[in-house]
Amino acid sequence: MGIPTASIIGSAFLKQAEVITKGLGVPLAIGVYPGAPMVDSEEDLKRKVEEVLAPGLLKGLTGDAPLAADSKVEPAPGQVVFSGSFDEVQEHFYRQLWTDGLPIAPPTRERVDAFLACTDRKPEDVIRVVAQEGREASILSIAVNGVMAGCRPEYMPVLIAVIEAMCDPLFRIEDCGSTPGWEPAVIVNGPIVKELDFNYGQGMMRVGRQANSSVGRFVRMFLRNICGFRIPPGAGDKGSIAQSFLVAMAEDEDSAREIGWPTFAEDRGFAAGENVVTVHSVVSITSPMYSAGARAIEHVQQWAEIIGGSFTYWAHTGFKTGLWSPLIVAGPSIAGVIAREWSKDEVRRYLYEHIKVTAERATHYARMTSTPTFSLENLVKDGILPPEYAASSDPQRLLNVIIKPEMVGILIAGDPGRNQSRAYMSNHVQGPPTSRRVELPRSWARLPKPRAATPSA
Amino acid sequence: MTSPKRSDINEPRYDVLWPLSRKAVKATAAASRIPDLNGKTVCELWDVIFRGETIYPLVREYIKARFPRVKFVGYSEFGNFHGAREHQVTATLPDKLRAHGADAAIVGIGA
Repeated sequence: MGIPTASIIGSAFLKQAEVITKGLGVPLAIGVYPGAPMVDSEEDLKRKVEEVLAPGLLKGLTGDAPLAADSKVEPAPGQVVFSGSFDEVQEHFYRQLWTDGLPIAPPTRERVDAFLACTDRKPEDVIRVVAQEGREASILSIAVNGVMAGCRPEYMPVLIAVIEAMCDPLFRIEDCGSTPGWEPAVIVNGPIVKELDFNYGQGMMRVGRQANSSVGRFVRMFLRNICGFRIPPGAGDKGSIAQSFLVAMAEDEDSAREIGWPTFAEDRGFAAGENVVTVHSVVSITSPMYSAGARAIEHVQQWAEIIGGSFTYWAHTGFKTGLWSPLIVAGPSIAGVIAREWSKDEVRRYLYEHIKVTAERATHYARMTSTPTFSLENLVKDGILPPEYAASSDPQRLLNVIIKPEMVGILIAGDPGRNQSRAYMSNHVQGPPTSRRVELPRSWARLPKPRAATPSA
Repeated sequence: MTSPKRSDINEPRYDVLWPLSRKAVKATAAASRIPDLNGKTVCELWDVIFRGETIYPLVREYIKARFPRVKFVGYSEFGNFHGAREHQVTATLPDKLRAHGADAAIVGIGA
């Protein structure tokens, strides 16, 4: 539009603003708010605005135009940038902020080519230009970071599908560095689960199985190198405390078939037998949910109590945006008991109806987090929440924590010999479950597949 | 991370590829600034977090004290460009800014 702007940025976010400015190619004039506005008294806030922020904004609108940041010449994609021993490669990549702090597999041409041989797509194909650095999410970049993360070449079709899903605008990859510090979880369905030796049984979320571990690590590596989400001494990832990468999940589809429930991927509209990946933000995880009994209600009631206790606080962020998605990883033995009496939809309906929060608490939580103006009435008026959220003005009225039953995902996995489940919470509209079909190359049948690790005698 | 060690002559060497990708960024020059805001229209864009309801009026007051004839168009005219409908709201901003005759804008709050 050609009009001058000035942006209000907290002092702790200046480095992130610098990264975004370069990624957008737009120089920004900035007025700085010193510190964190949510913890300042009214007097301190007024003083900071009058003494620092407002003068900065005024200068940004009336002074000299901000200059574009210097753009340094970078290597070409696929260019050899370093030669050295294993240790020297590790040190160089670490110093360049190109690793997650763990040793990487050196991305040599030969290794990268082996990954590229596992897709029919060209290395230069670009899925999308992604925030925050404005880089191309290319097939080549997926291969290089897949090598580094310790993936096998035959995981390449899964890695491509993961990045395609994360590049869907609905997923909001640009928000992967937001302060709640959420992490994308990858969920794998279809015959490829067994072909690539994903663990869907006991210990499925523990590091230790190559497919689960390296695919999870790849996601964080890609976010770091291609999107530019780096913690200090880098910049761009503003997760305040955050969490480390999640190993990829896979479904126990044999159990799903045995008990007569659709799989997670079928719930999302895919046909049985299709290879599918889903990415799903995880901002919070319940404690292990143990439940006992031979009746469905005994288990689902326990889930409602534990999920309610764990997720009710953060659900206000879902209220602000009209969306959040709990994902239940149901232990196979528990799912079997429930499925004898209830469908998945009946489980969803029960959780929707029985997890509650008072309007007063939801409003309090929102105001403590970031939004002093939070108003359920306004959210209903704007069509973001259904009318029942403003059905009365009683602050003690009970609201459904789960906004719609269909937002609940259910995946069967874990130890079939124990009575444990867990639930994972998405970060409202950031990283909602997003799925893509895994496209196998024409040569797939001929490609070598991993054999399960077997301890030597 | 391991410490760098002197390379053994028999140790393999690795030629490694750049792990980043091409930047597809088209640089845009900043718009000219407005030394005198009197008679100009400044629009406020707010993502409805981090106490903007207190901060924006203070900023307004500060600028008006120095440019009494500046006109502000409040953030409520533009909608929340963060959260539930950020893509849709962001897409409407150019037209709304034009409709209000915007000469400049203040955008926040990134904190």
